[in-house]
Amino acid sequence: MEDELSFSDIYGGRLALQRRYYSPSCREFCLSCPRLSLRSLTAVTCTVWLAAYGLFTLCENSMILSAAIFITLLGLLGYLHFVKIDQETLLIIDSLGIQMTSSYASGKESTTFIEMGKVKDVIINEAIYMQKVIYYLCILLNDPVEPHGISQVVPVFQSAKPRLDCLIEVYRSCQEILAHRKATPTSS
Amino acid sequence: MAYQGGGGHDHGPSPALYPVSPESLFTCRTHNICMVSDFFYPNMGGVESHIYQLSQCLIERGHKVIIVTHAYGNRKGIRYLTKGLKVYYLPLKVMYNQSTATTLFHSLPLLRYIFVRERVTIIHSHSSFSAMAHDALFHAKTMGLRTVFTDHSLFGFADVSSVLTNKLLTVSLCDTNHIICVSYTSKENTVLRAALNPEIVSVIPNAVDPTDFTPDPFRRHGSMTIVIVSRLVYRKGTDLLSGIIPKLCRKYQDLNFIIGGEGPKRIILEEVRERYQLHDRVRLLGALEHKDVRNVLVQGHIFLNTSLTEAFCMAIVEAASCGLQVVSTRVGGIPEVLPENLIILCEPSVKSLCEGLEKAISQLKSGTLPAPEKIHNIVKTFYTWRNVAERTEKVYNRVAGETVLPMDKRLERLMSHCGPVTGCIFALLAVFNFLFLTFLRWMIPDSIIDVAVDATGPKGAWTNQYPYGRKRGGDNETSKTR
Repeated sequence: MEDELSFSDIYGGRLALQRRYYSPSCREFCLSCPRLSLRSLTAVTCTVWLAAYGLFTLCENSMILSAAIFITLLGLLGYLHFVKIDQETLLIIDSLGIQMTSSYASGKESTTFIEMGKVKDVIINEAIYMQKVIYYLCILLNDPVEPHGISQVVPVFQSAKPRLDCLIEVYRSCQEILAHRKATPTSS
Repeated sequence: MAYQGGGGHDHGPSPALYPVSPESLFTCRTHNICMVSDFFYPNMGGVESHIYQLSQCLIERGHKVIIVTHAYGNRKGIRYLTKGLKVYYLPLKVMYNQSTATTLFHSLPLLRYIFVRERVTIIHSHSSFSAMAHDALFHAKTMGLRTVFTDHSLFGFADVSSVLTNKLLTVSLCDTNHIICVSYTSKENTVLRAALNPEIVSVIPNAVDPTDFTPDPFRRHGSMTIVIVSRLVYRKGTDLLSGIIPKLCRKYQDLNFIIGGEGPKRIILEEVRERYQLHDRVRLLGALEHKDVRNVLVQGHIFLNTSLTEAFCMAIVEAASCGLQVVSTRVGGIPEVLPENLIILCEPSVKSLCEGLEKAISQLKSGTLPAPEKIHNIVKTFYTWRNVAERTEKVYNRVAGETVLPMDKRLERLMSHCGPVTGCIFALLAVFNFLFLTFLRWMIPDSIIDVAVDATGPKGAWTNQYPYGRKRGGDNETSKTR
């Protein structure tokens, strides 16, 4: 089963949430941001080049123009490869664990896996972020030393920053699976 | 944090709490209140415990309450206290004496975000020393929210710093909807300082937690003991005390004094003790922490207050709550505080105070003084936080019916009310603030700010998940009828 819902992020941009239900104990959530738009790319390039041209008319050194070209190219490459995340995926499997994948615009992927034994709970929390107060989804990890303690808080969907309605959707599904796991502790 | 523990014991799982809840169904409206002050726990003090206790009682009455303060060291972000009281510790820079720096603008984005997401209707600022409280008032007025301010302190008029603070207070309070003072003396002071219309100033006294001040007759000494707890400064009449001690000690051989507190006048008392060889009968305890006060009070039979000026004397209420006979000077707001049968009032002179004390001692010897338990039971009904919350609620109801000044009226008020120079400067700042707010509204419209999940109030998530099964059932019912 697969469906797609449309939400927005905390800045008001559009986000698409794809849910894939492979089986009752395995679900995948995929949040995709809109791709890098031609308009913003043009806007940034034009500003850099106009500024460079302004400098060039002042000091009449052609080095500036070539530097501007290199800066835009390298900046674009770096941005696509290290900053811009197109898609964030949360895969939760009852008996195995939780896998978070973020794919960059250049195609690079980074994956984190947390095994189910370490997961204490999945919660929605509030935080002060920049000049905002936002909700975020996070995974609490068990403390190996202290049975009731929490060793770490891992935030999910860090770059997409969806709004609360989207988080609740994901949270409900995760809780269903976690409850399912707790109901059958002997099998795992 | 002693207060927190006590508060939890007081109204935590007791069934007495519950009759309040259905009642709040019938009150016409509930408010979303935001308390703003630089001073809150983990900092300790009178303002802090006032905000905490008042918020707890307002939550009990069915309102939604949040608290906004600045970050204390590592304590930043959003925290929940007892009964789902939500506290925002904002990462703003602390400038001086736990008060944040103010530019009037830098806190607007965050405060606006919080006011919008919590759907706040009334901003209640505390303490005139808190820059954040004034900032919040300023922003709230720009956003068109209703404002209430509580003043906790008395000021002078003469020195430079009070002249400046008073000017700032005039600007800040001239378009505030309502002001609350803790006593009539304080009201007079504030009205004069900020040039206010006295009709918008209410008096709601502070309260004592009666469970913190209970009598314990078994701790009393066999011989008669007079307790004094105050700072040892001129204002508190320490000089009178040094006259009283030798006179009474000569007259009554079985009389003891316990003196708690520290201050520059301590040396006088030590001299007296030295000269009359009273080391075994006059005990000087030095500075006391608030939680230790009760343990000192219960050791005595009579409480003596020698203040020369006093706005609202909390000490005599605490002493009476511990079941002591109170002897005090008749100054300031003291005669309003306790009824005549619980207090012996004297003129602020050695002779008059000695007469008062002798009267109390003779009553004690003849056994006509009421029992400590009895005094405690009378006093504990006088100054309760529930009563304070009820009265504050009335202020909120009144304020909710008022209109907030629109921008043009507000500018007019500022310019006509605060003098030509200050008025114009602050009117200009108000315009800038409004422009900044418009810019923020364009950048992040209110519609894309998530509405926060209520922890307290009519739809409070906290009370619905109360761990006691019986109570949860009751609460679900009430939420359905709502």
